[in-house]
Amino acid sequence: MSELAEVFNQFIVHQSGARSAKVIAFNKLSGGAIQDNFGLSLDIEGGVQSGLQEFVVRQDAPSGIAESLSRPEEFRVLEAAFKAGVTVPKPLWLCEDLDVSGQLFYVMTLAGGSASPRQLVKSDLTAEQRCIIVRRLGAELAKLHTVRPPMRSLDFLTLPDQGDAALSRVATYRRHLQEIAEPHPVLEWALNWLEDNTPEPGPTVLCHCDFRTGNYMMAGEKLTAILDWEFAAWSDPAEDLGWFFSRSWRFGANEREAGGVGEKRDFLDGYREAGGTDIDSAAVSYWEVMALMRWAIIALQQARRHISGEQRSLELALTGRMVAKMEFDLLTQIQELEDNQ
Amino acid sequence: MINRPDNHDLLMEARQVLLNSLTPELTGARKYEALMIANVMSMAIRELGQSEQAKVEEADQAVSTFLEARSQPNPNVEGETSLAEAIRKRRLDGREPALRDVLRTLTEARLGINSPGYLKR
Repeated sequence: MSELAEVFNQFIVHQSGARSAKVIAFNKLSGGAIQDNFGLSLDIEGGVQSGLQEFVVRQDAPSGIAESLSRPEEFRVLEAAFKAGVTVPKPLWLCEDLDVSGQLFYVMTLAGGSASPRQLVKSDLTAEQRCIIVRRLGAELAKLHTVRPPMRSLDFLTLPDQGDAALSRVATYRRHLQEIAEPHPVLEWALNWLEDNTPEPGPTVLCHCDFRTGNYMMAGEKLTAILDWEFAAWSDPAEDLGWFFSRSWRFGANEREAGGVGEKRDFLDGYREAGGTDIDSAAVSYWEVMALMRWAIIALQQARRHISGEQRSLELALTGRMVAKMEFDLLTQIQELEDNQ
Repeated sequence: MINRPDNHDLLMEARQVLLNSLTPELTGARKYEALMIANVMSMAIRELGQSEQAKVEEADQAVSTFLEARSQPNPNVEGETSLAEAIRKRRLDGREPALRDVLRTLTEARLGINSPGYLKR
């Protein structure tokens, strides 16, 4: 570990034009099967970052997921989000030379606070505080959604087929479902429903695609950073909204539709006031159903990693048994949507 | 062969020891692992339970009856596979209430084993 710390230290000295720097602290941060995150505190002399500085180094883990972005791609997405004014850790330097640490990595500023969803959802907040938090989150998403293609620095991101993100997702999930050995009639049925009930496509914008409680940092009631950009894609803005509101990400606080934290209406007000597109509520509801489908497919893929022996893990095995919850929610939510039409 | 105490009894007792004696001694990631193990044991206990087994059998029967009534291929042991394929190939009308009832029965039987608390929400 200390050797690795010194490798990162030397890289930062070089990049920041410092005379020298000393490692004060270095530790592996929790979270992320796809990448390793390290906290690194340095005492830097000279250069653009002189003084006591805290960084996060995000490095590829040996076992990545094919469908997530590489570290250089993620770095460029983070840069685009930062430039658009989204609250993210400031992206500093990217290292694409495998000789430096053996993996691709980048360095960003350390954001304070905690991303723990349970801590936030269970915290004793007033209605007003909840309103402020979710409005802010809505506004953050609106800023992100101002980033639109074409953008040269993001040319590695794929565009939805024929501009229809919903049908593109249905095709992808159908393909993934066929790769799963056991039958899932509820998911087949829900995929047909998603195919038959697509809303009018929205504009194509930069979407986070994993924007949910647990993926942003809070210091008390203050948002400090939106994290985990490895699934970012050009998509329909309603996809990010549907994912955020999905029942799967309310951490037991089902009555608070905005991420288990606050009201959906407040989130959408924050989104609109910060310049977000006016999104039809039916489209948001549709993408909430899509979110359940996506999480079910991810859970099946995780379980398959265990079942196939690729990565034996109790946690992955249990994720497979969670799929029935998503199936139950799919049946319930689709019925409710139809009943309310 | 009589082999007592039975699996159900053994698992119940083992889970109690895990939760009452071991888990309170643990913190952080170890505690999380112990709780996951307790969760797995709960599922195994329910899977051995007669009422849960009866629900699974009822759900399988509901799938068979549904497919037979619609002249869909239904190899006895692979009812769910046939149902999934018939839906995927659009041989069934997704709006049909009877289809939704069968899907709900299947899901509820599975949830009865995996997370019965979820059904009460």
